[in-house]
Amino acid sequence: MMKGVKVNRRSFLKMLGWGGAGTALAGCDMPTTVTLEEGKEEVVSYLSPEEYVIPGVGVWYASTCTQCDAGCGLHGRVREGRALKLEGNPDSPLNNGKSCMMGQSGVQTHYNPDRVTSPMMRKGNSLQAVSWDEAMAELGKQVSSVSGDRFAFVSGSLSGHQSVLTSELLSKVGSKNHFAYETINTSIWQAVSKDLLGDAMPVIRYDKAGVILSFGADFLATWMSPVHNAGEYAKFRQGERGVLVQVEPKMTLTGGNADLWVPAAPGTEGVLALGIANIIVSRGWNKVDVPASVKTELAQYDLNKVEKITGIQGSKIKRIASLLSERGPALVLAGESTVGQAKGYEAASAVMLLNIIMGSVGTTIEPSVSFPENALAAKQGNTSSLKAFAQGLSDSKYDVVFFYNSNPIYSAPEALGVESGLDKVKFKVALTMFPDETALKADLVLPLNSAIEDWGTHVAAYQGGSATMSLQQPLMEPLYKETKGFGDIMIALLSKLDEGYKQFPDYYAYLRTSVKNMPAELTGGALASDESFWNGLLQKGVLKTTGVTGSLTATLAVAKVGTPTDHLDQTSLTLIPSARLGLWDGRHANIPWLQEAPDQISKVVWDSWAEMHPHTAAEMNLKNGDIVKIESKSGSIETQVAITKAIHRGAISVPMGQGHKEYGRYAKQTGANSLSILDPVFDHKTGELATHATQVKVSKTRKNQILIKMGGSDVQMGRSFVRTVSADQLRRTEGGA
Amino acid sequence: MTATKKMKFMVSVFAFAVFAFVLPATSLADLPVPAHIIPPVGEHSGEHVPQPIDFPHDRHVNDMKINCMYCHTYARRSAVAGIPPTSKCMGCHKMIATDKPRIQKLTEYWEKGESPKWKKVHDVPDYVHFSHEKHIRKFVDKADFPVEDVQQVCGLCHGEVKAMTVAEKVKPLNMGFCVRCHEANDGPGDCWKCHK
Repeated sequence: MMKGVKVNRRSFLKMLGWGGAGTALAGCDMPTTVTLEEGKEEVVSYLSPEEYVIPGVGVWYASTCTQCDAGCGLHGRVREGRALKLEGNPDSPLNNGKSCMMGQSGVQTHYNPDRVTSPMMRKGNSLQAVSWDEAMAELGKQVSSVSGDRFAFVSGSLSGHQSVLTSELLSKVGSKNHFAYETINTSIWQAVSKDLLGDAMPVIRYDKAGVILSFGADFLATWMSPVHNAGEYAKFRQGERGVLVQVEPKMTLTGGNADLWVPAAPGTEGVLALGIANIIVSRGWNKVDVPASVKTELAQYDLNKVEKITGIQGSKIKRIASLLSERGPALVLAGESTVGQAKGYEAASAVMLLNIIMGSVGTTIEPSVSFPENALAAKQGNTSSLKAFAQGLSDSKYDVVFFYNSNPIYSAPEALGVESGLDKVKFKVALTMFPDETALKADLVLPLNSAIEDWGTHVAAYQGGSATMSLQQPLMEPLYKETKGFGDIMIALLSKLDEGYKQFPDYYAYLRTSVKNMPAELTGGALASDESFWNGLLQKGVLKTTGVTGSLTATLAVAKVGTPTDHLDQTSLTLIPSARLGLWDGRHANIPWLQEAPDQISKVVWDSWAEMHPHTAAEMNLKNGDIVKIESKSGSIETQVAITKAIHRGAISVPMGQGHKEYGRYAKQTGANSLSILDPVFDHKTGELATHATQVKVSKTRKNQILIKMGGSDVQMGRSFVRTVSADQLRRTEGGA
Repeated sequence: MTATKKMKFMVSVFAFAVFAFVLPATSLADLPVPAHIIPPVGEHSGEHVPQPIDFPHDRHVNDMKINCMYCHTYARRSAVAGIPPTSKCMGCHKMIATDKPRIQKLTEYWEKGESPKWKKVHDVPDYVHFSHEKHIRKFVDKADFPVEDVQQVCGLCHGEVKAMTVAEKVKPLNMGFCVRCHEANDGPGDCWKCHK
């Protein structure tokens, strides 16, 4: 660095002695090695810019986030024709200008170097690049010749005009086989709400609650609409601070925020809920009349029995019950670790019973507000559809299958046999941005535009009381010439089946016409055909309308919750494929920002890991970083141990999202896929995959690797976060006024 | 040698003479320094950067008396001064000097719907945030400095552009150069003002 400059010891010491800006600046006159040499970079001016464009000054456009199905509104900063930064849209009543880490990293989905950039068709054994004309000709041929019942469309959650076009395609083909599949969903909560409250998607008023008892609902990270929930949760904590109690076998982000974290034995949450209900009714704390028959039924969940089954101290159970009664209004929620059981429906029903007897229905749980146009409303994904699709595959029911925003070969448990079942499908089409596991198995791969290159409309399934359609508009020109929008492909395909669609050259034209024809009850009286309406929509990004309000009627019944017997088996542990804000169900494993973000609770960075309780690890003589083999009836994975107290002794948690076999350079061959070894157990009532019902044997291997973790300790070593003194003491010692 | 070839030869001889003898002399000739600014100290001997079109700054600034910010219009509005859009060049050159080879080359670009790919001459590393707008505001707008003389302000960092054809880097534009000027002229001294 100091080439040619001779510094002897004396002058070096002199330099040190000088101090001050003069010396500090000495290094600043060195030619910076990273300074761009003149003439090495190009700078291209605009040809003929729009009036408002100023190089170096960003313009923000409204759009919609598609990183999960919550449908948050976005603002994207565009500079010199490039989308650079995504933030929440303040006009969206869902996320009120906020966004999460997955939303923020939408730019890395868009600029990802592993995008599919040209249509590919299977020729022989390999996928080869073909022209769009060839691809669409083949697609048209396949779709017009397939018989309706042998055509299937697999997607994630869908809404808005993309959903309308999908339904149109299915009806033109004459098929009813639409499988909307999402691993992370709230289907069982909705089914129980529908059956016990008469309303599938009631509005949850976190802000009105004084105490929230959540049975595994990770509402701050993965449940329903996390960004919206977090905003409401902040209100719940402000003013008179609400109390949050979280019951779950593995601490989630919400559990980490709770005042009381209760690790009940996996699968016993329903029993705990009924035990709490029993204390409440036997002490007369219930806010709603409870018939004697219900009281009698509840009486069998006496404290001793519940304590024994759940492994939670009686005093703690009593404390939860008294918190519900004293710190109300109460709100009780049920999420994945509680409902992901063979009797998940019953467990959720037991939880809902607490809401009913504590008078939450009508106070902290309000009637749903749904979007008035059914065709645009969300078609939510779930796992019962995966089960049905897998069944169809094994019965050789399909000849042509479309996959859009869905990668079941990765995310479905291997025991369902999706991968081998797909061999029986003659023509598989993947509409995708990335070469994921399912796409590479397809016969035709159609490269999609990224969310910030594409048009769309989104109506979120859960909107917390508003009825909004959010517009997705391209923030920039597509990066690659050969990618197309999902809607563009659907319009092109529909034009082959129906002359009526030929009037639309692309999806934009279709969308524009559809918005023009919107009835006045959707637009709030504004004239949709007016140009200013469309411009307003582009500007704000959201169309707020008056929703249809549902009604709530509570049904009191005691569910027949199961008491799992498996967990009593001391040699096995319950496998928890925990979901987290970040990699989600694995779809974000190709985003480096999310890969490098440490887990919110365990603080582990990169790779996969298996969280185990210190006692369980000690019994097996395991230490951090030891590689263990985790074996279920359906398969096995290997990963490193991360010892943490934030998990039940009878559980082992391997976060979902890693272990991709394909899916680009950042995702491929990193970690282990915990979803793949889940046993094919389903909730008996809803058919949802029981994600928390797999028992595994854990065995030590001789391998070990360094566990990469932020922070060396989980405890504070008796130190407080910030040293504080009281105002009084300060006045005494510092002599303030 | 035909008349045109002869002409071209003469022009190139003349251009060579300008480059070899006149330019070094003129670039050393100092611009008047505005009274309210203590100028930054430092020299840099930049390379000649060949550009797709040999743009003559001297012709535009010296002969035509065009203000820097007429073309680099973004300087007062944005962090970057910007290269003028091709439409701006064509605004004049649809009519003016259409017989000159450089203008014909420009017109070719315009008709193809492309902008020339200019080579960057002045740049700072990505970890340095430099704003033209802030400097123009301080030294021109707020100082009530006549905007018609703005080249004296621009010249503090860009040198005497009116004596150049294509721009050349004649100031070091490194941290010492910046900080000394900031200290002398009461500019912000916090690290994060530039490194943000």
